[in-house]
Amino acid sequence: MARTLMRFTGVGGQGVLLAGEIFAAAKIKLGGYGLKTATYTSQVRGGPTVVDITLDDDEIFYPYANDGEIDFMLSVAQVSYDLFKGGVSEGGTIVIDPALITPSEEDKKKWNIVEIPIITIAKEEVGLVLTQSVIALAIANNFMNAIDDETLKAVMLSKVPKKVHEANLKAFDLGNKYANEAKAAMA
Amino acid sequence: MSATREIISTGNDLAAIAAVDAGCQFFAGYPITPSSEIMHTISDLLPAAGGTAIQMEDEIGSVAAAIGAGMSGVRTMTATSGPGISLKAENLGLAQMAEVPLVVVNVMRGGPSTGLPTRVSQGDVRQAKNPSHGDYRSITLCAGNLAECYTEVVRAFNLADRFMQPVFVLTDETIGHMHGKADIPTVEAVQAGIVPRKRFEGAPEEYRPYECGPTDAAVLNPMFEGYRYHFTGLHHDAKGFPTEEIETCRKLIQRLEDKVMAHRDEIELNEEFMMDDLTGEEGEVLIIAYGSVSLAAKEAIRHLRKDGIKAGLFRPITLWPSPAETIKKHTDKIKNVLCVELNIRQYTEEVERVSGRLDIEGLYKVNGRAISPYEIVNKVKEVF
Repeated sequence: MARTLMRFTGVGGQGVLLAGEIFAAAKIKLGGYGLKTATYTSQVRGGPTVVDITLDDDEIFYPYANDGEIDFMLSVAQVSYDLFKGGVSEGGTIVIDPALITPSEEDKKKWNIVEIPIITIAKEEVGLVLTQSVIALAIANNFMNAIDDETLKAVMLSKVPKKVHEANLKAFDLGNKYANEAKAAMA
Repeated sequence: MSATREIISTGNDLAAIAAVDAGCQFFAGYPITPSSEIMHTISDLLPAAGGTAIQMEDEIGSVAAAIGAGMSGVRTMTATSGPGISLKAENLGLAQMAEVPLVVVNVMRGGPSTGLPTRVSQGDVRQAKNPSHGDYRSITLCAGNLAECYTEVVRAFNLADRFMQPVFVLTDETIGHMHGKADIPTVEAVQAGIVPRKRFEGAPEEYRPYECGPTDAAVLNPMFEGYRYHFTGLHHDAKGFPTEEIETCRKLIQRLEDKVMAHRDEIELNEEFMMDDLTGEEGEVLIIAYGSVSLAAKEAIRHLRKDGIKAGLFRPITLWPSPAETIKKHTDKIKNVLCVELNIRQYTEEVERVSGRLDIEGLYKVNGRAISPYEIVNKVKEVF
């Protein structure tokens, strides 16, 4: 497998960190290498946050994604989208929540921009806004085919409290469903 | 290497786990980004291991409490970032002078002053050498990957007890918060490597903690066990009482110097990455980097080698005392030397000093952002 670089961006407090940890742990569980780094500002809540995820079969040293090499980005905040989109390679996929981000026409030409209302799905269909990071996880994996779903789900369940296992499994399935629909619409 | 185990974690959590595995029984700290997770994690782990973790009122209080615990004979640690070291500096000098073992983890962030709290830096390398006034030798270790956040903390505890003084472990925001796989020694292997601090076993009235050979460390028995001595930051005699006697003062400070410098072989630790085939031929490149920057350097070397440039990395893991002879050996052989640091020339100046060369190239960054592998590749191609 060539190196997979993914970037999750949001604002502090949204829980974008968790998806990165799950990806890294799942890849390591499969015998490969995974690294997650988070960059954030001094502003505890509301500051732009970016999580870089690097997955590889070979050892990874440098933990950040090099700008221009990122294959996939998911964003749930305009400020972070604007700040970090530049790192995505031309033609790469950017999943955005259309309720929170308005991409420019230029952006739509440069990248494959996919609109999925992640926060609304978490709030209204799962009924638990915190599950947004698991919806994001499933969407990212659906586009990247980085890890098999069963491994990813098992690692995800090991990282969330038991009482929200059901909700997170539902979130994972919904993430996959919306990603598949978005792909079908694109085709 | 003895048996290892795989842990998926962050550098900060690994530092906390290492302390507990190495027998740390006391931690005092004050929250500061980007080191706070060390305190969070050790606060969970230490009480369960029979130890004590306490959040003090400030940075000064936390190092003072840790020194007190060290005097009681237990392994003790504090963790902070650069601004915290500035505040702790006076008491770190006291621990050097009174010879109290203590592990100090500094997860570096941008400075000076409060600087860039959430951003990476290596700006405290010079500070770690001499955080406090006066003559003494800092022992400073620098973790260059996740596993070393564990192994260097373990080594720091062993060196602190061996040399009876504070030992710094430098990490930085990148490594502290990076989350991934670390292959680390088993708890059994760590415990098997612990050499207990020396104790005076004779009659209490014959106890002279500071009466030792010219390159030996003091022998401080735990307080309140009948072995009385005086504890002070003043120049002191064999029993610790203040003195201005000329020879006693000279010998004391000379011993603080020599107890470290005469035993550098016990402290030095380096990594040589892809240096095996560097023979001194024209065009070869030696990169010198440490800490998280070495991760970018390793990726850069992979790229450079693909482009036909023979490059290798020399990475000091013990920064202070510096591996002077080893650096000189390499810089005597290889002409193209590039130091890469997240500060401005803090270690380059040491490389210049020990190599006796003023043509060392440098790549520096001080805006809180990491140096990328490509920046190193481009710099190498530009200057050599």
